[in-house]
Order: sequence, then structure tokens, then C-alpha cells
Amino acid sequence: MTYSLLEDVRVLELGNGISAAYCGKLLAGMGAQVAKIETPVTGDTHRSYGPFIDDDPHQERSGMFLYLNTGKRGLTLDIATPTGMGILRDLAANSHVLVHNLHPREMDRVNLSYEPLAERNPALVMASITPFGLTGPYKYYKAHDINLSAAGGISQGLGEAEREPLTFGTAEVGYFAGMAAASSIVMALLAGESVDAGGAPVGGQHIDIAEVETMSGVYNGPEALMAVYEWRMTRRTGHHSLDFPYPNCILRCKDGYVFAGSPEGRQWRRLLELMGSPEWSRDPRFTSRTVMNNEYADELDGYMEEWLLQHTKAELLEMAMEHRIPLGPVRGFDEVRNDPGLSDWFEEIERPGARALSYPNAPYTLPDAPSTATTPAPSLGQHNEEVYTGELGFTHEQLVALSQTGII
Amino acid sequence: MQEQQQENKGPLAGYRVLDFGWVLAGAIPGMVLADMGAEVIKVETRQRLDYMRQGRPIIGTERDPEQHPMFHNVNRGKLSVTLNTNHPEAVDLARSLVAHCDVVIENFSPGVMDRLGLSYNDLRAVRDDIVMVSISSNGQTGPLRDLRAYAPSIGAMAGLDSTLGYEGERPLGLKHAYADIAGALHAVFAIVSALYQRRRTGQGQYIDLSMLKATVATLGAGLMEYEATGRVLGPMGNYDPTMAPYGNYPCQGQTPEDQRWVSIAVANDEEWRGLVEAMGSPAWAAEERFASRYRRHQNRHELDTLVTEWTSARDAWEITGLLQSQGVAAMPVMDAEERLYDRHNRERGLYQEIEHPALGVEPIFNLMWNLDKTPPSIRGHAPTLGQHNRQILCDMLGLSEPQLSDLEERQIVY
Repeated sequence: MTYSLLEDVRVLELGNGISAAYCGKLLAGMGAQVAKIETPVTGDTHRSYGPFIDDDPHQERSGMFLYLNTGKRGLTLDIATPTGMGILRDLAANSHVLVHNLHPREMDRVNLSYEPLAERNPALVMASITPFGLTGPYKYYKAHDINLSAAGGISQGLGEAEREPLTFGTAEVGYFAGMAAASSIVMALLAGESVDAGGAPVGGQHIDIAEVETMSGVYNGPEALMAVYEWRMTRRTGHHSLDFPYPNCILRCKDGYVFAGSPEGRQWRRLLELMGSPEWSRDPRFTSRTVMNNEYADELDGYMEEWLLQHTKAELLEMAMEHRIPLGPVRGFDEVRNDPGLSDWFEEIERPGARALSYPNAPYTLPDAPSTATTPAPSLGQHNEEVYTGELGFTHEQLVALSQTGII
Repeated sequence: MQEQQQENKGPLAGYRVLDFGWVLAGAIPGMVLADMGAEVIKVETRQRLDYMRQGRPIIGTERDPEQHPMFHNVNRGKLSVTLNTNHPEAVDLARSLVAHCDVVIENFSPGVMDRLGLSYNDLRAVRDDIVMVSISSNGQTGPLRDLRAYAPSIGAMAGLDSTLGYEGERPLGLKHAYADIAGALHAVFAIVSALYQRRRTGQGQYIDLSMLKATVATLGAGLMEYEATGRVLGPMGNYDPTMAPYGNYPCQGQTPEDQRWVSIAVANDEEWRGLVEAMGSPAWAAEERFASRYRRHQNRHELDTLVTEWTSARDAWEITGLLQSQGVAAMPVMDAEERLYDRHNRERGLYQEIEHPALGVEPIFNLMWNLDKTPPSIRGHAPTLGQHNRQILCDMLGLSEPQLSDLEERQIVY
């Protein structure tokens, strides 16, 4: 579903992978006109990573590419050539926003910087998403998801004490960087229309987004306090976590696993009642739930599982609803996809060349905003003709020549 | 910094937010908007304290709502007004405040705002272009609307936990408040988009945000694996479908208890050559079984063992420096203390020292975006409970001092 809130905003998106693409996807989902620029021939690296529809590797069948790029137009352009960079500047002169996730070293190599773009278009908002930001001693460091997770403080708390720290199950940091970029871009657009203290229009600006700071900042920024107050919540302690009231962990049930939690005392009392007020719950060792958690968690897991193993995930969810206890079945992606409560939310999108897939929509509903169906991700260079001849005014012959020389 | 703060009003200067949000998911959007220059009024009450104001105090043993550093992080720069909305007069005051606001944020259980008479329709009657966001676990409608849930149970239901664990073993689950952060950041985007549109059309907007959906939306890899191939991912360990080596490798620690780890990720042949060079070109690295991306990925477990031999005798930062100079992605697994004192984070001002009246100077994280003309800025410490009652109720709403005292006495302003 596409809302119309940003319908007059023209966006250029440049780069590979998740972060810039998710930013572009969020903006497109709010109605912005997003043109995605890909490298000629190979395209976004995600086109070659898959997972591929029916395991048929093809650059138009990558599930991740198709998900992350719905609602956009697709262009190809080799910005590493001076001619290509010149065309990018033409495109940027005609846009409100440029978001990219080129590494600082790559920015230097292709000569991508804000100033020359702003000279032609002073209102341009440019967002640079890089692993460590555009300043500081690690500016040129490389990082993939696992490195950002390590430096961002995610991994130190995931896994078992004696074994290697873990990262997210799948690459996640880029989504947070994409959200950060999308929000800050719209804020910059709002600011751009106002005037500064001297009465001059604020105009465009350059936004520096460090992917790692989405983790070490907002995601678990408050944990910096752990260093000050010696809290222990995120030590590696397997499926348990220290200093929370027990239970706050994933346990076995009849057909899989369930997250069992009861942050409020009354929730815990209701859960005990549901389990038939077992004998062990009156053990004098088990008066403080934090002590239970920190000292007796393994023993308590055994008692809890004795009951949980008699019930399926579906039964437990029903009991959670009825008795107002936060139990959460650990669901696989098949169960998420087939959740009847989410069925209207997944949107089936047709695309030539392969069977239609269903994709999650944006996580918000705006009942009063006009909306239209989402258009599919573009094929490689699908809108070259439309944009380069239709909007930039190239002749058909020029476009052919640029294509033959590998620039488009 | 001081000077800059006075000059820089932020991109959202002039907007006012009424923030009923609490705990994390509800507090973070207001925190972000405050850093960006909006005036954010936190509505809270002693009758039902924000969870973040509860629990063990830092100093002494007596409960004290001002001694909670987590609260100080996610509520910095806000104003606090105490309104006990159990009382209709407090609800009337809240409604009067809406007339002065552009945005309303709430994350109570679905139905609470309706019962209080503070639904979107009620608020629109007071201010017809109001932008209101309701953040909830599972949305305001649908079969799971009334399920009690918090970040880790939402993560379990979203599929997030199903992939977190050692390869082929049980799911361990993510302990973080992932669903809160994903929900809050999507909410911020929807709010500012609505403000953008309002400036053009004069129309307000209601935004119904589901934290479950916000989490699922960020799990493209697992969802699309199922949608495209029918396969369901299980615990992945430190696995990447295209990279090898890819993992956290043990390094030399100061003591046996202080085991250090370094993350290394090699995406292509060029980076592989960089790693081999950094390791001093050992003979095994030239073997046919590691000769291509495909072969390295196929033989990744053997490769991990050999890389571990090299890393385990070295310091994590030494390895990081060596590999980065060869163009290979590497970073130590960093804990909170290391991140706080890290030279890069220091230079970029990731954590800022903010003085709070109850606990003194604390490191508070800055936002992860820097807008070069209108940068984010922490506008002050988190408010004490009801710190701005007079400013908001008398100066803004025009109550007299005796009226305020009377409301305090009757525990309406409470």
C-alpha cells in the first residue's frame, strides 16, 4: 500500500544492499517518487544474493531485492565515469533528495560529494549512510552486518558465556540506518522550507548517518550507563538474561518454543495460577523473582517446562490472551506469513517473469490518508527511457550511445 | 557546544508535542522529536508511574522516581506535567493542552485513550489538524489487539528469535528491546511525513502503528526465504549466505576471564587476499579448498578453525588495525564501557555528558544522524516528575496559582 503524504517529493537512491534501499522503500511507501540508480549490467548486489524465487538464480528473481525496492523506478548509471557523474548531477538538480550508502572510500573514488550537487540545487537534501560516519578515526573502516553488530554492542550479549558471541540471525543493521535516513530526510525537508535566524532560507543540507550509531546509539545507547552503574543485563548468559524478574526467556513447549515473560507481579501470579499453583512456587528460595532469575533459572526452567511441554504454541497463545500474560510463541517465518491476523497486511504484487510474491506492508495504518496499491520493484534499467529521454531531454540516439558505452 | 545550542533550534522548532508515551517504545519518538527541536510535553502521573521511573534506586534504598538512568536517556529534553487521568478534570486539562499541540503520541493498551475520551476523534474536535500516533504491540484492530506483550514476546512472535542461536541448536532469542526501537523509529518517520503533508494540505492524520509489524518489516531475509523458496530458517549462528570467513573469532585477552573476540567478514576475492596478506600468507590459504568464494563458503568450518588459530594469539584491536589496513572488515566485539570510551565515539560525540539533578553527570547517547545545518541536540536533562506543571498549566493554559494548588491538593494534578 502506498500513501500520498510525500507525493511531491522526488528522491534519488544510490547504492547496494539494505540501508539506502529500505530508506527509499519507506519514502516510496509514503508516496515519494523514488528513482533507484543501479550499476549497469550487474545492478544492486542484492540482485545476485537471493533468496531466488523457486531457487532459480536470476537478477530479476531475488526475493530481498524485490522486497526492498517496491514502489520505485529503476535507472542504470555508471557514476564512476565523469560522464555518469555529470548525469547524476543533472538528475540531482531535478530532485529534492539524494540518499546513498556508498562507502567513504567509494565516495572519494567516484568523486561524490554534497557541494557540487548543492551548487546546482541549493535545496537538495543529501543523506550519506556509511558504516562509521563521515568523520572520526574509523571513517574509512569497512564493516558488514556482523562487524556493526560487534562494534554496536549487540554481539557482546548474545550467546553462551564460553562460546563465540552471536549476531542477529539475519542482516538487520541496515534497516535501522534506513529508518534513520528516511526520518531525518523528511525533517531536513521541513527545515528547508523555514528561514534561519538571519532571515535566509535554510535550504538543503547534508545528513551524515553512521550505521553503527543506530546500534551503539538509539538501539542500546542507554547501555553506556552499564559502564557507570555496573549493570549486567547484556552479559552472555545463553537464553537467560541477568537482573530481570524470572521468567524472561525462551522455553520449550509441546510443539516448539515459547517466550515466557511476566514483568509485572500480577502477571506472574496469574501464570502460577494457570499452572495450577505448583508446590515449587512456595519454595522459600523463590521469593524474589530477580534472585530466582539470577541464581535458580536452570532449575526453574525445568519446573516451567514440565507444564509448558503439555501445551502447544496455539494453546499457550490462547491462554496468554485470556489470562493477560505476555507469552509469545517463537514463530518461524512460515507461521508469521500465515498468521490470520497479518493476512490483510501482506500485499501480493504481480511482476512479469515470475510468480507473484506477497510482501509485508509498512507497519503503520493511516485510515484517513488516500492510498493506492504498491507497484513492483523495477527491473534493471526499466525506467531509463522514461527518465533520461522523458525528463532529462536526452535524444533516443544519445541514450543508445550512453548504453553502448556502458554508462547507462 | 553551548553557543551552537542557542543558535540551532533544530528542524522541528515551532512544533509542540503532547507525549503520553511511556516505557521505551512510547518514550523514544518524543525523545527524538525533542532533540530535533520540538517542544515535547510528557504527560505522566504518580497514580501510575512510568515503568522507567520504577524499581531499585541508584542511591539509597528508598524508591525514587528521579533515580532511573534509563528514564533519563529516553526522556531527555522533555517537559513534564503530571495529570491523573483517572479524574475527568485532568482529562479536560489534557484536552485543553491538545489545542496547543501539533502531535500527540500514546502507547497505552488499545482502547485506553477511547475510554478516557482522548481518542483521535475527541482530539480532532479540539484541534482539527492534530497528528496522532498510537503505538501498540499488535495494532488497534485485529485478533491480537488485546494480547499482553512487550518487546521480547513480540520479537518471538515476529520471527526474530527463530533465527537467533547457534547453528542447528535451540533458539536463544534476542534479549534487546528490538520491537520497541523498530516501532518507535517507524513511528517517527510516519509522524514527520504527516507533518510534511499537513504543511501542504492543512490536514491532520491518525497513525496506528503495530510493533509486531514494525519488527516483521525488518526481517526481509527470513520472510523472503520462505516466500521465494518455501524454506524456513532456523537458528543461524554467525552465518551469512554469501560470505566466509564470517564470524566472531577469539583473541588474546588480558586474563582468562577477559576473553576477547573480533568480528571478521570477507565478502570477495580482493578482501580474501587482504586477509591472507595480513595473516602473513600461510601455506593453507593457498590450498584449492579455499580458492574461490564458493569453495571458502563450502569449507567455512575448516576455514574458521584456521582463522581462529591466527586470531587467538593476537589482540582484538591489533587484528582490527591489521585487517582494516588491508581493506578487510573487522571490529572487536565491544562492551558498554569500551564503546563509552572509544576514540571514534568520543570524537563524534556519540555520548554526551548531561547533568541530572538527582544523579549528577550521566552519559546520554546522541541521535545517529547529523544534519549539518540543523543538527540534533540534547536540549536538557530528563524532567523531574511534574517539573513543568506551573509553566504548562499556568503560563500556557492560563490557570491561576490558587487553581493549580487546588488541583494539586485534590490529586488531579498529581
